[in-house]
Amino acid sequence: MNPRQLTGLTALTLFLFAGIALRLVVAAQFNDQSARFEWPPLDILLLRVGAVESALLAGGCLGLSGLLLQALLRNPLASPFILGLSAGAGLGAILAMYGAVAFNAGVLGFAVHALGLADGMVAGTFGSLAVLAIVYALGRRGGRIDPLTLVLAGTVVSSICGALTLLVQSMMPPSSRGESWTWFMGQIPEIPSRGPAITALVLLVVMTIAAWSRGNALDVASTSDDEAESLGVSLKRLRIWLFLGAGALASASVALCGPLAFVGFVAPHLSRLFLGSSHRALVPASVIAGSALLVWADAIRQSIDLGTGRLPIGVLTALIGGPVFLCVLRSRRLVPGAWSC
Amino acid sequence: MLTIDHLSLRYGRAPALTDLTATAGGGRIVALVGRNGSGKSTLLRVAAGLLAPSAGTVRWNALDVRALPAVQRARCVAYVSQRPLLSIALSVFDAVALGQYSIGRQGKSLAVVEAAIAQLGLEELAHRSFHELSAGEQQRALVARALVQHQVNGLLALDEPFSNLDPGEANRVAKVLRLRACAGALVLVATHDLTLADQIADEVWWLEKGAIIAAGAPAEVLTVDRLRSVFNCDFVRGAHGISLCTRAVQ
Repeated sequence: MNPRQLTGLTALTLFLFAGIALRLVVAAQFNDQSARFEWPPLDILLLRVGAVESALLAGGCLGLSGLLLQALLRNPLASPFILGLSAGAGLGAILAMYGAVAFNAGVLGFAVHALGLADGMVAGTFGSLAVLAIVYALGRRGGRIDPLTLVLAGTVVSSICGALTLLVQSMMPPSSRGESWTWFMGQIPEIPSRGPAITALVLLVVMTIAAWSRGNALDVASTSDDEAESLGVSLKRLRIWLFLGAGALASASVALCGPLAFVGFVAPHLSRLFLGSSHRALVPASVIAGSALLVWADAIRQSIDLGTGRLPIGVLTALIGGPVFLCVLRSRRLVPGAWSC
Repeated sequence: MLTIDHLSLRYGRAPALTDLTATAGGGRIVALVGRNGSGKSTLLRVAAGLLAPSAGTVRWNALDVRALPAVQRARCVAYVSQRPLLSIALSVFDAVALGQYSIGRQGKSLAVVEAAIAQLGLEELAHRSFHELSAGEQQRALVARALVQHQVNGLLALDEPFSNLDPGEANRVAKVLRLRACAGALVLVATHDLTLADQIADEVWWLEKGAIIAAGAPAEVLTVDRLRSVFNCDFVRGAHGISLCTRAVQ
């Protein structure tokens, strides 16, 4: 690593630790709508540590997933949800909620609950993985993953899932619709489920090491197909690995916190701002940046009371990420021709 | 030694290369010339192992280039694209250093990258962003990357390497290619610049509809009569080689 990359990585790490410290001491003061800073009692502290744990894992997964997808699609505007994973997760979750209402008795109801299909998070993960498989099958041309076809397949599958989600929502009794809205806005659980948390942790560690070791190949893969192959990178294998890895990371994040927009898009860009474009440095930086963004967002939202509760995390990440997306779109960081793959 | 044996390739139903057979040894510059769509770039990509032929084989030193693992192939065959793409912001130095990807960690050398950059006259641009360069400067950077990439006695395939260069830079690139050929490499150049092909090539392959219809020394293949009949305009051959007769155009 060169001095700039070391400085950047240090700055991002400090940013992350500052966010963690803030999240541990900040508490919402709902009676006068202000934030209070104080070291909490142990039981409250443990809940906040749980929230930090959720944000660290989900943010890290999304940050790395976004970086891998931007490398796969050679597009700085790519994010984990461009492949329709969010819409697939949403459809899975809404089907689970509908199933819980419609099949709450009998053998079918027992099976639905026993398999965990009534749980929005579990079903959401299944939904995103199913969409991953469909988009993978549709995004291949001539036996190879084609970046442009992949994006188009993701967009279309996303639209179909969105329409089906609305259909299922309209079939639900009005009293049950509130729960689905909450799920769609994302959440940072203070008591994260052990299964999804351990899965996300293992996946994040394995994928970070694997992506770091392939950092130079990712740099080479940013050239045209012919150039990359001629320089010694087997694009066919690399793309399959990138697609499955990025999809699995995004699904792990959905399982933990629901759909959170823009974290996977902003984290790689924040990292590039500090460290430049070398993927070997960007891999750990994107994980740290993703975690830091989500921890900070969770800390900030503690002080924003809407009268009906705290500002939903998904709304906050979208409100921060949307303008950043537009800035990148308008900036000169976009490389002309990058889409012509 | 490059051995092309009964090579055919189709894009869908359209034949791009038809039963093409040729050989060329190291230490030479071979120019591929012909009309637009005659199969020059396709032949170059097949020779570099980037396209799978429908039939036949391409061998470099008796090894099937398509069957070689990507990293192993990159060490002996380098390809310079006509349309470069780099979707991330890298400096010229880093973009050239990508050429060392296939070389093991021990073999990587900053001095080799610096030398290639100097050979192509890019020293002052080395720390500028690759995307800030002109098309001609980018093309020179890609040639530098190819020099860094492969063994000096390997196969170097270049698609229109002179198309965006001013005469001075075209001359510089031509000298670099000659040096590489003198070191034992086979340099395959697809080009429309017949004057340059005539001057720098040891051998010219004339392609027409995916087949080599003439091969030999430049003076034998690039005849005034052939050029006139193919391109429908006048050429003259003088003491300095072949050139387009501009008076006929006026």
